[in-house]
Amino acid sequence: MNAPIVEMRGIDKSFGPVRALVNVNLRLMPGEVLGLVGDNSAGKSTLMKILTGAYQRDSGEIFIDGKTVHFKSPHESRDLGIEMIYQDFALCGNLDVGQNIFLGRWPKRFGLFVDRAKMHHDAREILDRLKVDVNSVYQKVESLSGGRQQSVAIARAISFDPKVVIFDEPTANLSVTATKRLLETIAELKRHNVAQIIISHRMNDIFEVGDRVMVLKRGRNVGERLIAETTEKEVLELIVSGVPETAATELVA
Amino acid sequence: MTISAAAPAPATPPREMGREGALIFGGWEIGLIVVMALLYAGGLYLNPAFFGSTDALFSVLRDASRYGVMAVGMTFVLVNKELDLSVGSTFGLTATFFGMLFAPSYFDLGLWTAVIWCLVLGLVIGLINGFFVTILEVPAFIATLTMLFIGRGVILGLTGGKNIAFELKALGTSGFFPLGEINGLGFNNQIIAFLIIAAIGAVALAYTSVGWTTYATGGNEQAARYAGINTRFVRIRSYVLSSLCAVIAGLMNVAQSKDADPQFGLGAELIAIASVIVGGAAIFGGRGRVIGSCLGAIFVGLIDKVLREGVPITRTIDLGGGETATVAAVAQLPPGAVPAFLGVVLILAVLIEPWLVRRRLIPRFWAWLRRRPPPPVPDLGGIAITGVQTRGANVQARGLGKRGLVAFFYRRDAAAVMLMIALWLFGWWARPDFWEGLDNSFSILLAFSEIALLAVGLAFVMANGDIDLSVGSVLALSGATAAVVMKDTNLGPLVAAVAAISVGMLAGVINGWLTAYVGLPSFIATLGTFYWARGIGSSIVAGTQLNGFPESFNLIGHSLLELLTVFGMAPTHGFWLAIAKAVSVQTIFVLLVALIAGIVLAHTTYGQMVYAVGGNERAASFAGVNTRRVRFTALLISATCAAFAGVIYDAFYRSFIPTAGQLRELDAISSIIIGGGSIFGGYGTMIGAMAGAAVLTLIRQLMSLQIILRDGSSFVLPQQWQNVFIGLILICAVIGDIWLRQNNILGQWFGRARRAEEAAAPAKEAEA
Repeated sequence: MNAPIVEMRGIDKSFGPVRALVNVNLRLMPGEVLGLVGDNSAGKSTLMKILTGAYQRDSGEIFIDGKTVHFKSPHESRDLGIEMIYQDFALCGNLDVGQNIFLGRWPKRFGLFVDRAKMHHDAREILDRLKVDVNSVYQKVESLSGGRQQSVAIARAISFDPKVVIFDEPTANLSVTATKRLLETIAELKRHNVAQIIISHRMNDIFEVGDRVMVLKRGRNVGERLIAETTEKEVLELIVSGVPETAATELVA
Repeated sequence: MTISAAAPAPATPPREMGREGALIFGGWEIGLIVVMALLYAGGLYLNPAFFGSTDALFSVLRDASRYGVMAVGMTFVLVNKELDLSVGSTFGLTATFFGMLFAPSYFDLGLWTAVIWCLVLGLVIGLINGFFVTILEVPAFIATLTMLFIGRGVILGLTGGKNIAFELKALGTSGFFPLGEINGLGFNNQIIAFLIIAAIGAVALAYTSVGWTTYATGGNEQAARYAGINTRFVRIRSYVLSSLCAVIAGLMNVAQSKDADPQFGLGAELIAIASVIVGGAAIFGGRGRVIGSCLGAIFVGLIDKVLREGVPITRTIDLGGGETATVAAVAQLPPGAVPAFLGVVLILAVLIEPWLVRRRLIPRFWAWLRRRPPPPVPDLGGIAITGVQTRGANVQARGLGKRGLVAFFYRRDAAAVMLMIALWLFGWWARPDFWEGLDNSFSILLAFSEIALLAVGLAFVMANGDIDLSVGSVLALSGATAAVVMKDTNLGPLVAAVAAISVGMLAGVINGWLTAYVGLPSFIATLGTFYWARGIGSSIVAGTQLNGFPESFNLIGHSLLELLTVFGMAPTHGFWLAIAKAVSVQTIFVLLVALIAGIVLAHTTYGQMVYAVGGNERAASFAGVNTRRVRFTALLISATCAAFAGVIYDAFYRSFIPTAGQLRELDAISSIIIGGGSIFGGYGTMIGAMAGAAVLTLIRQLMSLQIILRDGSSFVLPQQWQNVFIGLILICAVIGDIWLRQNNILGQWFGRARRAEEAAAPAKEAEA
């Protein structure tokens, strides 16, 4: 098997007296869809924020493509092809779809002025390539529905040509059809060999598109299963009553 | 392996830790008392004659007791995560109101009738504040700041700036006025009143459901609401308490002074807020105790007293012929120094929480002194989560795909442009003889340029979600600087202008640093500047005659015709003469600045960053925008524009007075909001800001029109009532923005009406 694209080893993180993460390990292969599950306050989001550089780890190591990294901000992880899609999408509602897709890197003319024509044209292209249904690139994002807002956020992430995409509770606020569309998008990304981590409470979503599931409990690894070889019931039991020892059952392959 | 093989270890229940110690006097209050003791010792050293007596202690306590009463009410407001800037004017309004009702020269009512009407006044003001803030969702600082200005305007309008005296009648009345007098024990009864109110407030906040619901609402309003607390009621109640406390303080004041001065309570809101924050309350809500606030009031009152009493010095006077004499004198600070200092105190007090407490500066400094490794700063977590704002989109979405004039009507700034045209036409209809004159156009454009220049800068600040309350004060500070440099030195007008603009920019740097890098809410940082900039401005001009600037400087404020005459290029007739008469140098300058700023805001990446930060600061930050620098720059631009306005002010009026630019922040903020900006940020265009400024100018101009009545007499609205009116316009604009533009309330009503009609239609058919 080829080398993992992301590897996190022995991550520790404390917030004051609270130990949010204790010796957590994570491995992600290229093109793999990893479900990250666990109860509230299990440390899922904290682990991902450490991966993107939004938080700094106290100890442990992170390897991207086998090279050790130490991100100080999300911008640095973006440069190495890691994109995160936040639960609230992190979009500017007062700007239009095109402006949001190119947020912070608007195409320029004469090095100073924003080239709006090019921006909207390119935004349209990106949306078409992704087969995302957003009517107009001139529409303000806040007037879109939740699912469409997420489409814009995904389009924005994809436009960076990432190697890893992290979804934080992607289906939490979506309707049934929007969820279906999202799962299709995830499968589409997988075909393009983009590795994905999905933080979710909804087990059936992960079982539909995931390859592997990893369980955290109170900031510790408590188990890891291949989707093909496990059941929702078993994963739920890990979430509720897993202990660090069960993590030893990790796939040896 | 199965899960059951590894049974989870039995969890040990967390140990009950018991309650925190020292509840009456936390560490904070002890520290405050120590600092106060040191301050009093300082006063004793500087002015032993005054501070050495018990009279001094009692007079400090007497003055502090009025602020203390206000601070008790303000504590409830701040714990609720709100702000009440109107208490100072409520205080003054109480005095005026009481004076007018009680004084023989006005209504000559009975004592208790007057007192009761004052309390009713406080109740009404509190209810209005609460109504605006909670029901209409106007941001607290805007609603109460407007209330402050309206209150001041009403005071001036009612009294005409004159003192109302009722000492003789007061002497003949018993029962109320001893409140402000010295009792048999040698101290003023106001101190007793203060202690009683403080005790009631402390018990109410700490031990009753009134206080607990207040803390819950301030800590997490949503959670409190879900828990069944009527948070709107709690918030309105805190405003009512605050207003009533201000009324009681105002009554204490008239009981002592036995007259009503329109200056009463000027800047008292600052002292009340500073007291509460110095007393340990957090500006971010949920924390604060009445005991701390009362100590804070005594502390701020003490500073006030130390500053006002001055330092005794000996002055050597040359009597001529080699003879000298030493005379004892008191070096007092120039007027304006006290508010300036209090503005600084406010900012420093607000800084205590994020810097001293959260970043653990004291333990780290202590460790550094002992050469130990410093304790780690606790990770404060990421940026607070703010979702995509789902406001204000309805109109835009409906405007999609429209072209030409129709598309224009869907723009947020369309209303301002149409209103501008309508107002001009109205003026033309009302007084065509006067309105068509070039003089009128000239004065409209002049008045426009001051408001417009402030609006240019403010458009940036408000588009990225901040606010700059200090523009009028920075205008005064820069104007004062230019005036002083020209009069007291012979460096010439160019140096004066550069110095003035530099000083203004420095104020902008301070605003921007405090807001963007220290993390204060912009309304607090700029509120501090609002006071200190004007205070410093008026203190540096004290004692200088501020007119008679060089003619070359004054040309900035003159018409183009005069400038062209200097160069011998004046047009002699026709259209160009009319233009040259109507347009002044500053108007051209302002339009040029607006043009450049408009291009920057609409078409450059910086402008895009401003809107992105205003829309969702976290998203912008994740997208690689340096949000701090964007916000810093916007506040700097705003202060720079205000500084330009200050220089132009001097040139136009050919003199400087310390009240320059007073209330101008009101006009500028109104301009932006009328012009399509939002008090929550993310919106606003330069065209809208200019149209909004024009609307404000025209309203002021129309209000000062001499209206000729049918019987031949004429009527002009006095200036102070105009300010009240402008305040009302600001409130209306904010409410209109929130309810019409953002919540699309009209669209909802029409939609509901249409749906009701549609539902009714088949029923009618069925009937038929």
